[in-house]
Amino acid sequence: MCVRDAFASQAPWFVAGPLLGLCVVAVLALLNGRLGVVGGFSEVVERVSERSLNLGWKGTFLVGLVGGALLWAVVSGGRADDGYGWLTRTFSDPAVALLLLVAGVLIGFGAKTAGGCTAGNGLSGNAFGSRAAFTATMTFMAVAVAASFVTKWIWGAAL
Amino acid sequence: MIRLAAALVGVVFGFTLAWSGMSDPDVIRAGLLLEDFYLFLFFFAAMATALVGVQLLRRSRVRAFLTGERIEPETLRPERRHVFGSVLFGLGWAISAACPGPVAAQLGQGIFWSLATIVGIVIGLRLHTARARART
Repeated sequence: MCVRDAFASQAPWFVAGPLLGLCVVAVLALLNGRLGVVGGFSEVVERVSERSLNLGWKGTFLVGLVGGALLWAVVSGGRADDGYGWLTRTFSDPAVALLLLVAGVLIGFGAKTAGGCTAGNGLSGNAFGSRAAFTATMTFMAVAVAASFVTKWIWGAAL
Repeated sequence: MIRLAAALVGVVFGFTLAWSGMSDPDVIRAGLLLEDFYLFLFFFAAMATALVGVQLLRRSRVRAFLTGERIEPETLRPERRHVFGSVLFGLGWAISAACPGPVAAQLGQGIFWSLATIVGIVIGLRLHTARARART
């Protein structure tokens, strides 16, 4: 029970943050690679469209990521919440599905164009000292904060 | 071996994302609305750790343990696409209160709303491929 409680409550940032950062270091130290998640999605999409499942390391990393989250759900008991944050508190279910779909298109197209997401550019790229990654990070952070405030004002969705 | 190692790092990454609440849209939105600083503390702690580790690796001149390659962290100069793409990405991040890693973690946890976001990501990636083809 004790173990379950420890994992059920949110990890302290000074534990979870460094753990995530070490993953970036591990991928570089093991395979001279840049840890990213969009690259994994990209690889899976390409392989599936070629009717093959012969994934490279970016694809297997993504599979591991999904498995790791499943492992956490099993160890901690997961979260008992059928909703989806501010979206399901503000909109009807079909509207939420549509908004998430649109958000997904923006995320997929945007991250691929910018050469990375919060992981690839935000964590790895900045740790590598890439000025492009720094530019991307400042841009998506500023836009995401501004856009969140706009949605709060329009729909009064505090959280 | 390389693919197995990447999968194992992925397991740690996914477990950590789920444990830190990054797959919970409320945690991300509270961060983006600057009501709770967990998101930023977590992110900067991760980045700082990675930065120190990467610089140590670079200085030590070791070769990558599994591939034997010289360790060369890729750096790029900023181009327009980094800004343009990140504006779109930031909008998607704000709406869904999730980015690709957390979306994959949501799937693993059985949060089925993530399927809508994933379908969107797949469409977005294919649009990118189509656009790249049309330009060449």
